Amino acid sequence: MSTLTDLRIAAVGDVHLGEDSRGHYRKHLEGIEERADVLMLAGDLTRHGTLEEGRVVADEFRDLPVTVVAVLGNHDYHSDQQYEIASELRDAGVTVLDDDGAVLQCGETKLGVVGGKGFGGGFAGKSASEFGEREIKNFVAHTRHIAEAWKVALKEVQADHRLVLSHYSPIKETLEGEPPEIYPFLGSYLLAEAVDTAGADLFVHGHAHKGTEKGMTPGGIRVRNVALPVLGRAYGVYCLDDCD
Amino acid sequence: MEAPQYVAARVQRALAEDARTHELGIRVDIRGDQLFLRGQVDGAEQRERLGAVAHETAPALHLHNEIKIVDIVEPGEDEHLD
Ligand SMILES: [Fe+2]
Ligand SMILES: [Fe+2]
Repeated sequence: MSTLTDLRIAAVGDVHLGEDSRGHYRKHLEGIEERADVLMLAGDLTRHGTLEEGRVVADEFRDLPVTVVAVLGNHDYHSDQQYEIASELRDAGVTVLDDDGAVLQCGETKLGVVGGKGFGGGFAGKSASEFGEREIKNFVAHTRHIAEAWKVALKEVQADHRLVLSHYSPIKETLEGEPPEIYPFLGSYLLAEAVDTAGADLFVHGHAHKGTEKGMTPGGIRVRNVALPVLGRAYGVYCLDDCD
Repeated sequence: MEAPQYVAARVQRALAEDARTHELGIRVDIRGDQLFLRGQVDGAEQRERLGAVAHETAPALHLHNEIKIVDIVEPGEDEHLD
């Protein structure tokens, strides 16, 4: 039974749908309205980031009985068609975040969702910094700009609960299982720092297929890696507040 | 003879960069003339494509495609965050 303030958040990332995947994922979404109030898609929705694959994704998540919010992942950027893919998704009724926020009305409860693709750079003490070659500076500055945008958006959002939706990870804990040498390409502590500063109830990400589901930011915000291979199930469901 | 580390790195790059696969999470190990692919994908077609790209990249090696296919199962229990 749920009370009025309960919020059940379904989340999955890295579904990596290809043109041969039409209908494959959709069947697992049957009955989602019984299990959850909203569905969060944590990027890497396609394999190669083509518009054709974007259309497959849009059809898989079209007209669901729950609100769907998505961010894109690095695979969705591969063919330089990220904007076209995002507008296909929006036409299908999916809210696509791009370093901004949205407020969803879930019954009596307002859920603020902030996020975007995120980016890498590494983790405190073992991270790249904006120094030296232009290429390295651009790499780290990209993450910094994203983190700043999320911090602003989180502070602006007026809601009962706040959730951050990202493709890249804010912490190392949910990367455990991946080779440590590639951690700088899997996430950045700048994302965690921004979110710890502004505050949130939950941080959901994907990208690290061999990572671990559960972790926490240094500021105590719960982090969940919802990459499909990590979950091993169609989606995870996380309840905020006192639902049972 | 080329060092096996370079061959393995080239195969791994091919699996990530080849338009047929774009798969980043596959482990490539070479032992003598044996090439092992390990990891998880969501379908038999992708596993076969990965095997094909690996074989084209290192045709002299004997390929062992040990990639597993993961089935999506129905969502399990909720987790309560309080
Ligand atoms: Fe992915
Ligand atoms: Fe990714």
